[in-house]
Amino acid sequence: MKQVLEGSQAVAEAVRLSRVTVISAYPITPQTHIVEYLSDYVADGTLKASFLKVESEHSALSSLVGAASCGVRTFTSSSSQGLALMHEILHWASGARLPIVMAEVNRALAPGWNIWADQLDSLAQRDTGWIQLYCEHSQEVLDTVFLAYRLAEAVSLPVMVIMDAFFLSHTYEPVDVPGQELVDRFLPAFEPKFQVDTDDPAAFSPLVTPNFYMEMRHNTAKAMEESIAQLAEIEENFSNIFGRYYGPVEPFLCDDAEIIMVTSGTMTGTSRQVIQELREKGEKVGLLKIKLFRPFPAEIIRKTLGSVKKVAIIDRNFSFGAGGIFAQEVRAAMCNLSDCPQIFGYIAGLGGRDVTTDLLEDIYWRTKKSEVPSGESIWMGLQEENHAVERS
Amino acid sequence: MTEKKVPSKVTPLFFARSYLSTEDNKTGSWRFLRPRYEEKTAPCSVACPAGEDIGRIETLANQGMFKEAWETILRENPFPGVCGSVCYHPCEAVCNRGEFDEAVAINAMERFLADTARKNEFKPFLTNLSAKKEKIAVVGGGPSGLSAAYFLTLLGYSCDVFEAETEPGGVLRWGIPQYRLPLPVLERDISLIKNQGVQIKTGIRISKEFLKEAGESYNAVFIGCGYSRSRKLEIPGEDLEGIKDGRAFLNRIRHGERPRLDGPSVIIGGGNTAIDVARSVVRLGGTPLIAYRRRKQDMPAFSEEIELALDEGVALKELVIPVSVVSDKGDYAVTLHHMKVIGEDDRGRALVEPDGNKTEEIRVKNIFKAIGEEAAESWCDPPHKGEGVVTLNNSTLDCRTESEVLVFGGDLTNEIKSVVHAVASGKEAAIALDILFREGLDTVESKIRNCLVGNGSFCSMEIYMKGPRFDRSSHVVSYSEINADYFYLSQRITQPRLLREERLATFDEVNLKVSASMAIRETERCFNCGLCNQCDNCYLFCPDLAIVRDKTPQGRHINYDYCKGCGLCVVECPRNAMVLEEETNETSTGR
Repeated sequence: MKQVLEGSQAVAEAVRLSRVTVISAYPITPQTHIVEYLSDYVADGTLKASFLKVESEHSALSSLVGAASCGVRTFTSSSSQGLALMHEILHWASGARLPIVMAEVNRALAPGWNIWADQLDSLAQRDTGWIQLYCEHSQEVLDTVFLAYRLAEAVSLPVMVIMDAFFLSHTYEPVDVPGQELVDRFLPAFEPKFQVDTDDPAAFSPLVTPNFYMEMRHNTAKAMEESIAQLAEIEENFSNIFGRYYGPVEPFLCDDAEIIMVTSGTMTGTSRQVIQELREKGEKVGLLKIKLFRPFPAEIIRKTLGSVKKVAIIDRNFSFGAGGIFAQEVRAAMCNLSDCPQIFGYIAGLGGRDVTTDLLEDIYWRTKKSEVPSGESIWMGLQEENHAVERS
Repeated sequence: MTEKKVPSKVTPLFFARSYLSTEDNKTGSWRFLRPRYEEKTAPCSVACPAGEDIGRIETLANQGMFKEAWETILRENPFPGVCGSVCYHPCEAVCNRGEFDEAVAINAMERFLADTARKNEFKPFLTNLSAKKEKIAVVGGGPSGLSAAYFLTLLGYSCDVFEAETEPGGVLRWGIPQYRLPLPVLERDISLIKNQGVQIKTGIRISKEFLKEAGESYNAVFIGCGYSRSRKLEIPGEDLEGIKDGRAFLNRIRHGERPRLDGPSVIIGGGNTAIDVARSVVRLGGTPLIAYRRRKQDMPAFSEEIELALDEGVALKELVIPVSVVSDKGDYAVTLHHMKVIGEDDRGRALVEPDGNKTEEIRVKNIFKAIGEEAAESWCDPPHKGEGVVTLNNSTLDCRTESEVLVFGGDLTNEIKSVVHAVASGKEAAIALDILFREGLDTVESKIRNCLVGNGSFCSMEIYMKGPRFDRSSHVVSYSEINADYFYLSQRITQPRLLREERLATFDEVNLKVSASMAIRETERCFNCGLCNQCDNCYLFCPDLAIVRDKTPQGRHINYDYCKGCGLCVVECPRNAMVLEEETNETSTGR
């Protein structure tokens, strides 16, 4: 049934319908609404789950490591500083092969203290062994939670469902919330591949010597790799039941494009409008939305972008001393192609600044007019810095 | 029905899991701090003149072990019924729970246990130590004398109590009104004392001559005959006919007299006797006014009693002293001189002096004198310090002559004239005599010090007898040492009482019984400061599974092969019943 929901509530509805058993989280803006809805569901019995109250994000995820080791479906949610505090346990969750699902609301890191959208928090965790799925709108968020549990439980790896602060978390949109029966058909009860069992005592995550460590890591690497094929099959199943499909990446009007813009998150929706308007003016432009960031779907991206002249990647994040992170990853995926397109990296919308249609159009025209990029990263919409502020 | 499973291949898991035992890894070798079970002392038990093991009593009561809880009282106090009814409960004033929400209703719990024991006719399991050859005479069958005899009997001595009145009990029987202490409650406590083996000889008034001959039959005499003579006002008109002595008046009431006392009465004084007289006057139809020379907060009467009196309609006039009384047409005209506060003494009590010439006259039908009592005869007063005299906290030992040992106790030695101080006195005297007979006079003071609860002023018989309490640390647990995260705010029970209208018409007991369910809820509130109540937090929190349950009284021990000294157990102990100490060469088990 279609309902007008806040993005945060779309997550909560999906978690409820996923029949999660243990939830643990620590409040942080802009993630707080998600767990507030969930704590209400748990309190009023709508969701029969344990809600573990903890004193920090580190403990929230640690307690889920314990719960998931016991073979139950788990959920947490965090953002920015909170996710940074979880860093140690993010590695633990993936290394211990626990299918935990987290809703991660992209928020800028401090200082300057900033609660608005910025992808650096989740992208800084790209090497932790978590599958990362970036969402464009509330319906996708809701659907991706279901996909995330199927995928996590199939490959025994944790999954982050990632959404922009406020643009998604606090915005009300019509969302089709499926019935429980339908969700149960797609997402049956979790059958753990291993679990703590007092009748079969074992030590979990003990010391691993150099004799075995590489093999263990390689096994995780393979699971990551296999998750691309897994996701494809799971999504096929999903679309058969629900009639919706997203894919690891989504090309939009790319067929005869000479320039393709690459986006992720909510700016994708704005870009769709810009691309359409440019098409109406006769410009050969397309859009590639990247949803699956870990594992990075390099092969599909090479197929889509390999034949165009120029690629313009817009990053709502910045890795100091390197550049926009999506741009780095795309460049790395493309570098061995014999006829590699020119890759332009643009930085826009950090700390929640609007990425407007005008700005996106500006990016297109700059890319079109330049033979080669003017630098590794082109910062869009910078104002003159007022240094006097420092003294006041 | 579910969709068919995704068929695509997933590599089997290869992850860190081991079926080897971790027992080889003796993490105890990492330890440089060592946790240990150590029970400590609760502040309530230090403040209790009877030294009752209150924390343990509440634990046992909470577990429904009412008889054991009641016996735990009896080990330190032969008057659970009396104290449950009339004790002014200094324990509650220092209760650590008071800093969290409200003090535990310890007094009401004592009363509940005494009521329960009486209702179920519990027989205490308390055996006397093997018989000793020494015999002791006890002068006075009031609370201090009966306590001394009770504890001496427990220690194996044979005792004769000499009581001047027809029945034992002293002030408990003749001084405290029925509405505070019903007779069956007193008689139950006294019958238990008798059952323990104490001989009570009533109707024998002891004279000074008796003491001279006592040495022939007795090795020691405990003198606990109390303060029975009222002090005089020393003002003109005080001896006019009909002016009443407060104590004598209360005695008449206890003997069943119910005189009508219509019209205004004035009671001179501010102690418990004054309050008892005033509340009795209310019940006899009169309108009492208490005239006190200091302020309300300076009154020696227990504050709860003062509040109940005011609630029942007793009027209080502060800062006045009577200066003369004249009889006038069946009334008395009392001239009161106003006083003013000129400072406070070191305990905060007002220092007063007459306020110029300000006086007023009040007209009353009755006058009661209740400005304090003194010993009836001078030989009852304890000797001052000197050779052969040992002045203890609550009693005085007089060994100046070879032939007779005298011990003075109760009101004769106690600054606070309360029942529970009388118990303290009798117990201390019994212990002092036992030390004297067994080890000699020189060791009395030091040995008494060893059995003080938490290095306070009051002895514990259980500590003296080296019972389980002997092993506790004398450290007194403070509120900051309680892990208050483990306790929820909860309301203290309200002592159920007769409605005011019901109280005023009779001498029926004002306080009503507490139900078992209320009592269990109330005992749940007790922090059990410093005492293990088997909550098992140490066991639950130990990351090394080094807490091992066993059949010792502690119920568990620490396996130091695996305890790495993280201290979680000590921090998570809600009641500070553990300690964490630096590992020393003597205690270290490994590297």
